[in-house]
Amino acid sequence: MIDSFYLAWRYIVFNRIKTITLVLCISLVSFLPFALKILLNESEHQLMSRAITTPLLVGAKGNSLDLVMNSLYFSKEKPDFISMKAIEKVMDSYLAVPIPLYTRFHAREYPIVGTTLDYFEFRKHKVAEGRSFAMLGESLIGADVAARLNLKVGGSILSSPENLFDLAGVYPLKMKVVGILQKTNSVDDKAVFVDLKTTWVIQGLGHGHQDVKKIADESDVLSRSDKLVTTSTKIKQYTEINVDNLGSFHFHGDPSIYPLTAIIAVPNDEKSATILSGRYLSEQKNQQIVRPKKVIEDLLGNIFQIKEFIDAVVLIVAIAMVLAIFLVFSLSFRLRQKEISTILHLGCSRSTVVQLIGAEILIIAVFSGMLCFSSLLVLQYFQGEIVHQLFIS
Amino acid sequence: MNRSNTYFATKIILLSSLFLTFNNVNAEVDEAKLNIYTVNYPIKYFAESIAGDNAKVTLPMPGDIDPAFWEPKAEDVIGLQQADMILLNGANYAKWLPKVSLPLFKLVNTSAEFRDSYISLSEAVTHNHGSGGKHSHTGTAFTTWLDFSLAEKQAKSVFKALSRKQPKLNASFVENFIPLQKALLELDTELTEIGGALNGEALLGSHPVYQYLRAKYKLNLESVHWEPEEAPTEEQWNVLTKLLEKHPAKWMLWEGVPANETVLKLEALGVKSIVFSPTSNSPETGDFMTIMHENIANLKAILEKK
Amino acid sequence: MININSLELSYGTDEFRLSIPQLKIESTEKVAIIGPSGSGKTTLLKLISGIIQPQRGRVEIGEVAINELSDPQCRDYRISNIGYIFQDFELLDYLNVQDNILHPFRITQSLKIDNQVRDRVKSLAEEMGIADKLKRLTNNLSQGEKQRTAICRAMITAPKLILADEATGNLDPSNKTKILDALFRSTDKNKATLIAVTHDHELLDRFDRVIDFKQFCDGESV
Repeated sequence: MIDSFYLAWRYIVFNRIKTITLVLCISLVSFLPFALKILLNESEHQLMSRAITTPLLVGAKGNSLDLVMNSLYFSKEKPDFISMKAIEKVMDSYLAVPIPLYTRFHAREYPIVGTTLDYFEFRKHKVAEGRSFAMLGESLIGADVAARLNLKVGGSILSSPENLFDLAGVYPLKMKVVGILQKTNSVDDKAVFVDLKTTWVIQGLGHGHQDVKKIADESDVLSRSDKLVTTSTKIKQYTEINVDNLGSFHFHGDPSIYPLTAIIAVPNDEKSATILSGRYLSEQKNQQIVRPKKVIEDLLGNIFQIKEFIDAVVLIVAIAMVLAIFLVFSLSFRLRQKEISTILHLGCSRSTVVQLIGAEILIIAVFSGMLCFSSLLVLQYFQGEIVHQLFIS
Repeated sequence: MNRSNTYFATKIILLSSLFLTFNNVNAEVDEAKLNIYTVNYPIKYFAESIAGDNAKVTLPMPGDIDPAFWEPKAEDVIGLQQADMILLNGANYAKWLPKVSLPLFKLVNTSAEFRDSYISLSEAVTHNHGSGGKHSHTGTAFTTWLDFSLAEKQAKSVFKALSRKQPKLNASFVENFIPLQKALLELDTELTEIGGALNGEALLGSHPVYQYLRAKYKLNLESVHWEPEEAPTEEQWNVLTKLLEKHPAKWMLWEGVPANETVLKLEALGVKSIVFSPTSNSPETGDFMTIMHENIANLKAILEKK
Repeated sequence: MININSLELSYGTDEFRLSIPQLKIESTEKVAIIGPSGSGKTTLLKLISGIIQPQRGRVEIGEVAINELSDPQCRDYRISNIGYIFQDFELLDYLNVQDNILHPFRITQSLKIDNQVRDRVKSLAEEMGIADKLKRLTNNLSQGEKQRTAICRAMITAPKLILADEATGNLDPSNKTKILDALFRSTDKNKATLIAVTHDHELLDRFDRVIDFKQFCDGESV
């Protein structure tokens, strides 16, 4: 028996390209359905766990999936903006507590989430290092952001321009890292949290600059009177908020129309949730209120329908592959006919020939199984990240 | 200052009652003393009066600065974040509010009820830069408590917030609130009478902090921009002289005791000085009520002289 | 002693017909078989080794009538007692020289590899002049080296009967002599019988006896 394996092994090693191809094919066919299952389970877990814990979401009317995906998973698909007035609507209802979200900007590939401290209490997140943001321009970063960018408390992270040709004059804002969140195993690990007002500073709605009354270089002043100082665009704007210039930061325009991407509404109870939802159905023309659980359930329904289709495809591919493998083996044995007849002529029994072939198939099967299993282990290790990339971002 | 900032102090902070609902669900603080922060002394006084021993009320800024223009450091904000409740004055009082991060659930705007009655200021500095085009900084008058009917509403808002936070102590809060409410309404009545008796007597304010006082009690008061401890500049004197030509006032209300030299120089112009302190920050002696009584007594002096 | 009696074998309808009334080969005899192509020389070797069975007649090796053994018994007997050198070497390209030599041991339960066998591989390889090639794959060997390997494989079980089918057919003249020398040496050492099919008439002198296969077409006895 041992010698059968030895000979089979020698054959496999000698024909390594053919063996590797076979092993890859078999592994792939076995891997696909399991991988699909793992990814779907993980996506269901990731999507549902967060959806269940987020009772209601208020956002602009439109694609409710975009709203949920952006608000819960900070996906790149941005819903239309709503204004700060929407906060009042929720507040005035006395039915739910609003937690604002503004998830428009990014720092490198990580979303900048503008919110209030209430978000962390709501999600029950704890700060692992440092503290929560306290001042304008401070950031509290997720555990993965800290690990991957090697950021420590006291470091800083720069907001990225929305696009390369951002001509609107919005400067990147250098945000001080004041805290790192404990690992949450959710998308919050990959987010940069700042105060809502800081995101408005990134957008340019608020800014800090030199005191126009104290400009030393008069060439920067276009006109000056008791009540009006008009300056040129050369006036120095701050791209970092620190103790020295914090005082100069201020907001312009009517903040009641300042943008938000969504509001997490935490209802007092189920009845309040129902009443509030009803009001949005009947009163709100430009806003919608959604139950993330329902939206995600619908999405998962679609995904599972797709899965059934993919399963069928995989089955067909698997059958084709099995036939192909059968063909490969039978062709291979035909090519080895002379070798087999030599062995038989030497005095080898037919059962030993079968053993030799069986050992060869078994080795290939074991290798394929190991490759498939280890690939699945790797997939399982990265499933969170993969699902995030595939289904969320 | 500006409308935008007003917004933060008003609209965002509308949440007061809601936060309390949320807190009731999420926080069991019945056992410990409430940790309350306020943004000025009058609110602190109201909170202490109503809560009594059931709360530790903190005014986080040093005693020698105007709380409205306090610039907290991160450590101060962290202290505020730890509070069970943060009582705000509203009316864009705390200029620092838009620059810090506080949990919405903990904020209580004591003037939310009358936010439509805030008095707007016209003083502005307009400048032009960045992508926002030309814009101006306008503001809101914030010494709301100098209208004692509004002060009563603010006190009531504090009372409601405390009752919602700790319903078990409601009886105690009611017991404490009623005399406070009575005292504030008495001050209101008294000042209404004084206002009536002054009958349009021209008055000066050393600083633009008397908008609500003027509006509620129908005082004919114009303000300059002087500080009690600083000698006015020549330019400031000229502004006053011009003002006196069209507004022949004989009395100037000061936030604090003015410098002797200034008092004498004013007297030379026929203007007498009296103190009417808004008590924005904790007083060295006395409390909100004693100082308000002193303020009223000082106003009465005008009537007596008249 | 090999004793073939009344052996008859034919393929198809008279396309090929082999008839050997009687053929005797003594122990330790070295016999060369010559004859025209298609006369049945290789078939005879296969009949002697039991790879194919005659339609009629008897093939005895010593006391054993090989054509009367069951298939497993026949295979067992062959692998242990007969060394077969194929016309085209028939080495396995995925095994190195050593494994090719040891191959009979690896494909049957009745033979076990032990240190003695390993030593025998070495001594055989040395004898054949391929001791330094033991770890090489057979693809990398010259024709002569391949044939030497095939001889080693045939000799590894120390068989008493060696059947060589055109063992020198693919070799140049100098190699032919060397290989034959090696084969003879080995046969002598084992006191074995050698039956070699060959076309090389210049080598015939070295054999004890030469059997011209032409005679069997007429059914003559030898």
